[in-house]
Amino acid sequence: MDAASPDQKFRLLGGRIPYVEGPLKVSGRAEYTDDIKRSGMLVGRLLRSPHAHARIRSVDVEAARRLPGVFAVLTGEKYPTQFGVLPITHDETAIAVDRVRYIGDIVAAVAARDELTAERALAAIRIEYEVLPEYNDPRMGVQKVEFPIHSRGLNGTNIQKEVVQHFGDVDAALGTASHFVRVRGRFSGVTHAFTEPLVTIAESTPDGRLTVWSATQVPHYLHRSLSEVLGLPMHRIRVIKPEVGGGFGGKSDPLPHEIACAALALETGRPVKMLFDREDVFLTNHGRHPTENDVRIATDAEGRILAYDIEALIDGGAWSSFGTVTTYYNGVLSMGPYRVPNFRYRGRRVYTNKPPSGAMRAHGGTNIRYSVETALDELSEQLNVDPFALRELNALPPNSTTINQFRITSTSFVKCLHAARQRSGWDAKHRKLPYGHGIGLGCSFYISGSNSPIHFTPKMPQCTVHLKVDMDGGIAVHCMQADIGQGSNTLMAAIVAEVLGVDLERMHVVRVDSDISPIDLGSYSSRVTFMMGNATRKAAESLRDQLVHAAALLTGYPPERLEVGHERISVRHRPDVGVSYLEALHKAMERSGALLATGSYTSPPMGGEFKGARAGTAPAYSFGAYVAEVIVDVETGEYRVPKVWAAFDCGRALNRLAVEGQIEGSIHMGLGQVMGESMNYRGSRLLNPSLLEYKIPMPQQMPEVECLLVGDPDPEGPFGAKEAGEGPLIAILPAVGNALYDAIGVRFTELPITPDRVVRGMEQRAAAGRTWKGA
Amino acid sequence: MSDPTRLRLTLNGHPLDVVCPPERILLDLLREDLNLTGTKRGCDLGTCGCCTVLVDRRPVLSCLTLALLAGGREVTTIEGVTPASGLSPLQKAFVDLGATQCGFCTPGFIMTAGALLRENPHPSRGEIASAVAGNLCRCTGYSKILDAIEAASRVA
Amino acid sequence: MHLDPFELHRPESVDETLELARRYAGSFDYLAGGTDLLPNYKMHLNLRPHLIALEDVGELRGHSLDRIGAMTRLADLERDPEFLRSYPAIAEAVREVATPLVRASGTLGGNLFLETRCFFFNQSYFWRQSLGFCMKADGDQCHVVPQKEKCYATFSGDLAPALMVLDAEAEIRGPGGARRVPIGELYDGAGDGIRRTRLAPGELLVAVHLPASARRRRSTYRKLRVRPSFDFPELGVAAAGRWEGDRLEELSLAAGGLETYPRRFDALTSPLLGAPLTDTKIEEVASKLRGLVRPVHNTFLAPDYRKKMAGVFTRRALAGIRPGATA
Ligand SMILES: Cc1cc2nc3c(=O)[nH]c(=O)nc-3n(C[C@H](O)[C@H](O)[C@H](O)COP(=O)(O)OP(=O)(O)OC[C@H]3O[C@@H](n4cnc5c(N)ncnc54)[C@H](O)[C@@H]3O)c2cc1C
Ligand code: SF4
Ligand code: FES
Ligand code: FES
Repeated sequence: MDAASPDQKFRLLGGRIPYVEGPLKVSGRAEYTDDIKRSGMLVGRLLRSPHAHARIRSVDVEAARRLPGVFAVLTGEKYPTQFGVLPITHDETAIAVDRVRYIGDIVAAVAARDELTAERALAAIRIEYEVLPEYNDPRMGVQKVEFPIHSRGLNGTNIQKEVVQHFGDVDAALGTASHFVRVRGRFSGVTHAFTEPLVTIAESTPDGRLTVWSATQVPHYLHRSLSEVLGLPMHRIRVIKPEVGGGFGGKSDPLPHEIACAALALETGRPVKMLFDREDVFLTNHGRHPTENDVRIATDAEGRILAYDIEALIDGGAWSSFGTVTTYYNGVLSMGPYRVPNFRYRGRRVYTNKPPSGAMRAHGGTNIRYSVETALDELSEQLNVDPFALRELNALPPNSTTINQFRITSTSFVKCLHAARQRSGWDAKHRKLPYGHGIGLGCSFYISGSNSPIHFTPKMPQCTVHLKVDMDGGIAVHCMQADIGQGSNTLMAAIVAEVLGVDLERMHVVRVDSDISPIDLGSYSSRVTFMMGNATRKAAESLRDQLVHAAALLTGYPPERLEVGHERISVRHRPDVGVSYLEALHKAMERSGALLATGSYTSPPMGGEFKGARAGTAPAYSFGAYVAEVIVDVETGEYRVPKVWAAFDCGRALNRLAVEGQIEGSIHMGLGQVMGESMNYRGSRLLNPSLLEYKIPMPQQMPEVECLLVGDPDPEGPFGAKEAGEGPLIAILPAVGNALYDAIGVRFTELPITPDRVVRGMEQRAAAGRTWKGA
Repeated sequence: MSDPTRLRLTLNGHPLDVVCPPERILLDLLREDLNLTGTKRGCDLGTCGCCTVLVDRRPVLSCLTLALLAGGREVTTIEGVTPASGLSPLQKAFVDLGATQCGFCTPGFIMTAGALLRENPHPSRGEIASAVAGNLCRCTGYSKILDAIEAASRVA
Repeated sequence: MHLDPFELHRPESVDETLELARRYAGSFDYLAGGTDLLPNYKMHLNLRPHLIALEDVGELRGHSLDRIGAMTRLADLERDPEFLRSYPAIAEAVREVATPLVRASGTLGGNLFLETRCFFFNQSYFWRQSLGFCMKADGDQCHVVPQKEKCYATFSGDLAPALMVLDAEAEIRGPGGARRVPIGELYDGAGDGIRRTRLAPGELLVAVHLPASARRRRSTYRKLRVRPSFDFPELGVAAAGRWEGDRLEELSLAAGGLETYPRRFDALTSPLLGAPLTDTKIEEVASKLRGLVRPVHNTFLAPDYRKKMAGVFTRRALAGIRPGATA
């Protein structure tokens, strides 16, 4: 792969490229799953468990089945095969079998001619439950319990996954340390709250095929799970991903309702649509885990980090989902962007009788980062060094290896620090603003694409892209990568257009359809730009070579002397001698008709030899340093964040519009977790399953965001790019937390930081006799 | 009065005359009965703004409006504000400035913002933020949406 | 989400409305803008087989400086600069109700007779069923204060406190004729979150009247909410006063969003008349009010905090209406 040089010139890439499907979206013409109607379509509905934990004694669906207009009633025993996004932790079923594990667990599914009939059918289903003790706090599940939520819990406990890692010698390092801090963080669960509710349509046809349209960000994993659970070979199932109204990880598990909907379609021979209410979406959750962590960091007298000693207790909810990965990530993603010579971690993810947690934007790297960055802020105060200086002192250099053998290639972290410090006017503000007004720094580190494909043995590429051009000159781009609003279709089109020198409007990014789209693993772990980008580039280069070859035949010059210009291939330094793109295309087609090209990406081998060594390995990492300013109403505890300076290293930003969009959107989502978003439970009952009581920030709460894209090109990223989809969320949380400390002298270690907590914090500070900035 | 379930209104400039049960919600009439799927359903409870349409040129939540009560009025959906070819200046600004990511909130924002600009052609940024504060967006962080509305107000 | 079938009635006069109300006594709801009722109906909360839509009743429409028809949309008030200038408390309250989209449909009448709210009530049928329902709908227990036989659902309308401090009156018509009462008397302080108003069955709010004295008062409304949009009040304090020089001639104070009904605190304010409103006096009133209100844990923010803030907001509201105060 070419080393990407910083001064490489592009026609499209690096600029601001409006999203290719924009015109359809602004006119309401983009087709989302719920916009699709099939003739004879039935309404699918789910019956949910009213109990947090119970045995199903009996189910009587006869009365429901007999209702006129009811086409099918399904219960768990028909498709009992367990599935899950990770092959090692299959513990979900499409419909509960024998046992329900949270309020909202699916116990039956019906298909009926309309909504009212479907609801009548649900009401007619009789289920007898034997209620079991409910475990709603992970602490209840770390010891042996009477009724483990799953039989696969560790030794009769509810522990789903325990990770213990020790690199170097933490105890020895602690012995020599001169400074030491401890932060114990507590984090409410938060959820994706995408605007498009979950929805699936399934249709089985007499040719023996099943077609599924679904609001998913992982069409391929859905495809596999449908096959596994329904017992149909994959080639008889067709998965289509229409436009998707946001995902953020909430559509990145194959979900039980998708399978239940397909099962209803098989049962009835009719198309079935299953559209979720908001409450269903909240109950499906798979959001960020409620977490408690305990972070100890030791340094030498200058502030050089000597050791991390970390524990995390993670509330998994009813299922595994991505939980094994979560448990690793809470440890291994805590180190970068710093060099940590000694590291000890114990993470436990515990099943509870709550809606399952899973992957949410910046999965596994957010809560732990908040505690680490809070600890570093505290350390810099103890040591009396500037927070920027402390971080710079500890920055991982480019081309280095971490203690747990992550391969760091490019990092512009120090550039991020410099940019954020300078642009924010930090030196004139930190600890110098009046009481109630503060400024804070938070940093980030995140994977740019998980190196381990979740499912592939033997190893196959993580992404493949196909291009097809026929005589009309339009270029069809096929790939299963899932654009859920982040702009990956646009990037794919732009890369092809860039390499071929043609106009963007020639690109037709074809809707994801497993019948024609070659496999990409989906939109998670910030893998798409890096992996799909590289695959696309290869496919486009292969197509370009075919065109250049044809141009060589036409011009009589050898291919080496030709270059691609705008819609034209000409002789280098002699732009007048050449052929148009179409002329080259038509010449090339003389041999075998329409041109095809393919490209794929497989990440290089990496990672250590120990157990769990692959977790967190990635072909590249993103880095960030954010500064936030806050203004606190010191009486009410209300605060606002007027301005954020977001310095981010995503390598080369290929589409600045999209990168800014990701940063701004991430800041919005991260601010939500700081300011008020919280899945509130009473016991195991979710109290606020609505967009009214789940507090997503409003436009008036958004800061002015200054994006500082200072990354150097990454050596392996497509044209030097790295991820910008998840990492940008992380730093805003500690930046605001640390700014609040600067403003009012209170350390917040519990999120969200609601106004009542702010007031309590100030009261406790005052009660302890500590003054701050004279107050 | 004639048949109480007879609904007559002007929809996107054309007369509509249908029979409609009292419990029919305007959003369902549009999406399910009339197949005008540009108007989105995000929550059904007034908490997201995705379902915004204009009734007599004012943006309202179609998920909280009984279809029959829109009788005699002028209802405009996203389909009705999109030119036959191309895009309106507001829509164009949304595209050019990246104000639509997943796009699910976008029709609602276009309806609200369009009505704002008609009433107040040169709103301040603060006025824009307040005007769209009934439309949720989970992708963009609103910045580029406000940019686009501002830009459109300069074009108009 | 769908609505269960009901019969819709569309009277065109108050008389016709009351006639329908009599005919369907006990089995109907009035429907104004629907922004409160319809979400509740979608959640299957206390459904009635008949809805009487007030949309076409001409007498309920329109507003002037001294009369606001019950069907006046909040957005119509917002668009009337003279009205807003005349009644700062109403202006501030209206702008903070819900969202602009809700205000486009939501009416004054609906806002005053808003259903009370509670975490255990404003939930789907499934959710409530899984908990065993509660007294306010389909059940017989309370999940907030289980030991009591009373419902503590919170009155969360923003306009009531603002209208109360301006001595606004409600014009009501019902089977028993017409009456006019101060806004505060619409709410049943002795009742609970279920029996929340003092309207007799079938009674209808026709309009709200504002006395000329209201325009001479300096007034304000201060709302605590989690977000600057969407959210119902976690508390709302309204204050209005008139000064002669620096001598206080009239003062009223009301709070909502804290209990099952909005209330006025005349006992706190009347001793202050005839003298300047000093910081000390304000502080005193604020802390007394704080001691009087009894929020429970059925909204987003914790009740002890809301109580504390009732004091802060009262202080700010009172300080905000003193002559020469800015904002
Ligand atoms: C997302 C969301 C957020 C909200 N936030 C707020 C908020 O912050 N503050 C706030 O105050 N409200 C809020 N609301 C509630 C509501 O929208 C407003 O209060 C609105 O003003 C209600 O008016 P309406 O006409 O829509 O009422 P409707 O729903 O039509 O009626 C409400 C009740 O009043 C009765 N009623 C209506 N008119 C009369 C009359 N003339 N005589 C007798 N009874 C009558 C109805 O029978 C019904 O019981 C919110 C609503 C939503 C959906
Ligand atoms: S306060 Fe008690 S009775 Fe009233 S709505 Fe809430 S739970 Fe029900
Ligand atoms: S669908 Fe109407 S506001 Fe959400
Ligand atoms: S663009 Fe996705 S919700 Fe706004």
